[in-house]
Amino acid sequence: MMRFRAAPLRAAAIVAAVFVVSRVVYRIVFGGGSGGGALLLDLPRVALDGPFAHIVLFGPITSGGIGNAALSALPFAALILAFGVLNALIDVQRLFVRGSTRGPVRAVSRALVIAWATAPALAQSVSRMRRAAALRGERGPAALLVPVFEHTIERALALAASMEARGFAASARPDADPARPVALADATLDQGEGWRLDTGDLALAPGSLTVVVGATGSGKSSLLDAMSGLFQHFEGGRQRGRIEIGGLERREFPPRETAGFVGVVAQQVRLSFVAETVRDEIGFCLTTQGLDAALIDERVRQTAGELDIARLLERPVTALSAGEATLVAIAAALTCRPALLLVDEPLAELDDSARLRVCAVLDRVAHESDTCVVIAEHRTDEWQGIADAWLEIRGARLIAASGPPEPAPDELAPTGITAALASRAGSTPGHPLASVRGLEVRHGDTIAVREASLALLRGEVVAIEGANGAGKSSLLGALAVPDAAGRVSIDGVDVATLSAKERRGAITLVPERFDDLFFSTTVAGECHRADRTNRPPVSTADTFLRLLGRPRPAAAIDELLLRHPRDLSAGERLCLAIAIQLAPSPAVLLVDEPARGLDADARRLVGEALVAVAGSGRAVLFATHDRAFAGRFASRELRIDRGVVTASAAEARA
Amino acid sequence: MTVTGLLPDRRGLGTTVALAAGSALALAAFCWPLVAAAVPADAQRAAPFVAFAVLPAVIAVVLAVLDRQMHSAKAVALLGVLAAIGAGIRIAGAGVGGIEAVFILLILAGRAFGARFGFLLGMLTIAVSSVLWGGFGPWTPFQMFACAWIAAGAGLLPVISPRAATAAAVRRARVLEIAMLAAYGVAASYAFGLLMNLWFWPFAVGTSTGISYDGTAPIGENLASFAVYSLVTSTLTWDTVRAVTTVIGIVAIGPAVLSALRRAKAPAPAPTTTPRR
Repeated sequence: MMRFRAAPLRAAAIVAAVFVVSRVVYRIVFGGGSGGGALLLDLPRVALDGPFAHIVLFGPITSGGIGNAALSALPFAALILAFGVLNALIDVQRLFVRGSTRGPVRAVSRALVIAWATAPALAQSVSRMRRAAALRGERGPAALLVPVFEHTIERALALAASMEARGFAASARPDADPARPVALADATLDQGEGWRLDTGDLALAPGSLTVVVGATGSGKSSLLDAMSGLFQHFEGGRQRGRIEIGGLERREFPPRETAGFVGVVAQQVRLSFVAETVRDEIGFCLTTQGLDAALIDERVRQTAGELDIARLLERPVTALSAGEATLVAIAAALTCRPALLLVDEPLAELDDSARLRVCAVLDRVAHESDTCVVIAEHRTDEWQGIADAWLEIRGARLIAASGPPEPAPDELAPTGITAALASRAGSTPGHPLASVRGLEVRHGDTIAVREASLALLRGEVVAIEGANGAGKSSLLGALAVPDAAGRVSIDGVDVATLSAKERRGAITLVPERFDDLFFSTTVAGECHRADRTNRPPVSTADTFLRLLGRPRPAAAIDELLLRHPRDLSAGERLCLAIAIQLAPSPAVLLVDEPARGLDADARRLVGEALVAVAGSGRAVLFATHDRAFAGRFASRELRIDRGVVTASAAEARA
Repeated sequence: MTVTGLLPDRRGLGTTVALAAGSALALAAFCWPLVAAAVPADAQRAAPFVAFAVLPAVIAVVLAVLDRQMHSAKAVALLGVLAAIGAGIRIAGAGVGGIEAVFILLILAGRAFGARFGFLLGMLTIAVSSVLWGGFGPWTPFQMFACAWIAAGAGLLPVISPRAATAAAVRRARVLEIAMLAAYGVAASYAFGLLMNLWFWPFAVGTSTGISYDGTAPIGENLASFAVYSLVTSTLTWDTVRAVTTVIGIVAIGPAVLSALRRAKAPAPAPTTTPRR
């Protein structure tokens, strides 16, 4: 509980100093600067009139007056410092964690724990949103207010769900039967607004690995949440029929009370991290049980050793790669030795090697430690040979399947649109639309991109492939906002010499977290905002609808435009982000990881949208770790490996 | 858990009664200068002390009652993070007298999540900011109640739903709602100033001025004195600034914040689950 951190003390000292200075400034401005001592400055008195007649501004300033003002601020400044010392010495979070399991205002203390843990996210989201605003060409702090607010709420809810699922503030721990991890009897999940899922009867055995497949939004996550209890007790969903977890009726027991029995790995693992270091993160679920520190330490080491991540234990959770973060989240769920492990889309953000590692770990957990593992996933290839059972959600029903569902036929066949484009790209030879020479990106001492050189032709879709951390995002970021002259030129103009507005007319970037680009509360508002800033020849709403492809009736368009941007499906959201970044009519569009986490339909939607963008006479460059997606939609492929860009292996052979 | 748990509606009713009774008691404490004029002279001297002692006790009871209602971890999380944001706003604005931007958040959150949530949020926001900023004092319980009422009141305003499912109708309903909240914000700003002046007025002015509190004077005379005091102290200045900032804030960020909060969808505080055994 006691430790020393310098940061809070430093912050408190700064705040205290600012407080003393501002008190002096107030005194000077509001006519309180006099009071014995030497006369420093004789300002004229300015009296206000009307209702403010009793206020006099300025007046003479003396050393005694300033001294008095500073002295009067000292008691309060000392109080600020005292809070800083307390914060530096006491891990308030752990204090709250202990305090919120008993006492009459448990809920209120829990609320404060979550608020406390959310605070660092606020600063993070401010810097993220500033970057997004710059990419989008939005200015002023007012535009950031609402997105930052939304991010903070999102983080707080993810954090609360994660803490709940890991037993935070549990007042009881009922015994569950590990021989019957999951038993569903004619259960129905219902979340209002017409959404429901019939699960029918289902029993899962210990030591088995089950994969739940289905399109995005079909209810895979809700099914997992219904097993962890988050659906009923956190999201406010309604359950009919029986859902028994370890023989306990789910409706009657909140997630925190079964935390030792059910392990949960959330879809966005980074949002769900509770602690500062990997060690504390993995040990959190044991901490909530009030175990002895030495015992917790031993169990954390053991779990980390089993997953081969012991070298990460001292790292801050913010310094993990996507693959490491997933493994840490799995370790954090496993430390309590759950009989049931629920994992939501663990592979979505991972590259090939990380995927294999996560699959192998989950395989071992299921088949060597007798844990019942349930995984929601729309990628099926990786689980072949590992999964013991498959479940598919189709048309609001959960169906037992004998194997992975057949991929939709259009996932494999090349689309006509790509072929047409390839021929067009070939027919416009000559000088490139964009050329990059000797681009280098450094993050501190490490070189993220080394001497990159490439050219983009009008009308082509170029993929740049590479593993997580290969330098893809750094490369795209440096292309969109180059910081050195002479590196990136578009249509013969050096991008570094352009103003922000002109640059957006040459090249724009859809970042990896494309949701960050959304600043409004409706799709229509979002499009209107883009139109107002950029005055494009075609309205952004029309561009968006065109990217979505399928024609729809006017009423459906109305309904679509009225929705909140974040309530669209992932594929639709990405199309909206692309439409927004097309508003300045850039010659080159950059898209970072367009296929990440998308199901087959959405991948197709986005892929075709990218092809359509290139078809309108621009060049598209997208980064991905997904070879299949690149092979299908790109007319040319590049590779990046440890910051070095090369032509892809396939192309080198040709 | 027990037999009362079988009747979630009745338990919800119980909370409402407890909240209403607590609020009535608190209002009496706010109005002690007016109430005290009606009691015998000996009791008059005790009145301010009674008022100061009653409020913390009422707060403790009300918090304990509401705490048991917070079944959902999500509502708990929202409460915590909004209270923290509110406290942050309040502390950030502490140097700028009268610009109480925290009202904007309280009104919008009370509107989105309902009166009970708003009530707790108002109390917690003041408590958190006072503890963090060291602004804890005899005025804190009064501020807690006043802010709780403001947030809860926004939750009690009528629901405005669009007449048709067209874009124009939805837009009109949203504009109407924001207009209603802005008007409420103006009323709340002045009401807050009046309430906070009322209990403090006898201490602020002291004795032997034209507008001093006189326990022996008829209630009408005291009210007139109070009106003059309030007018010159805050109604024309701080309260007006507060009303203007609240309206600007609600109009500027209200629609976005409301929809952000509504997307988070706090589950009802009453249990949606069946009771255990």
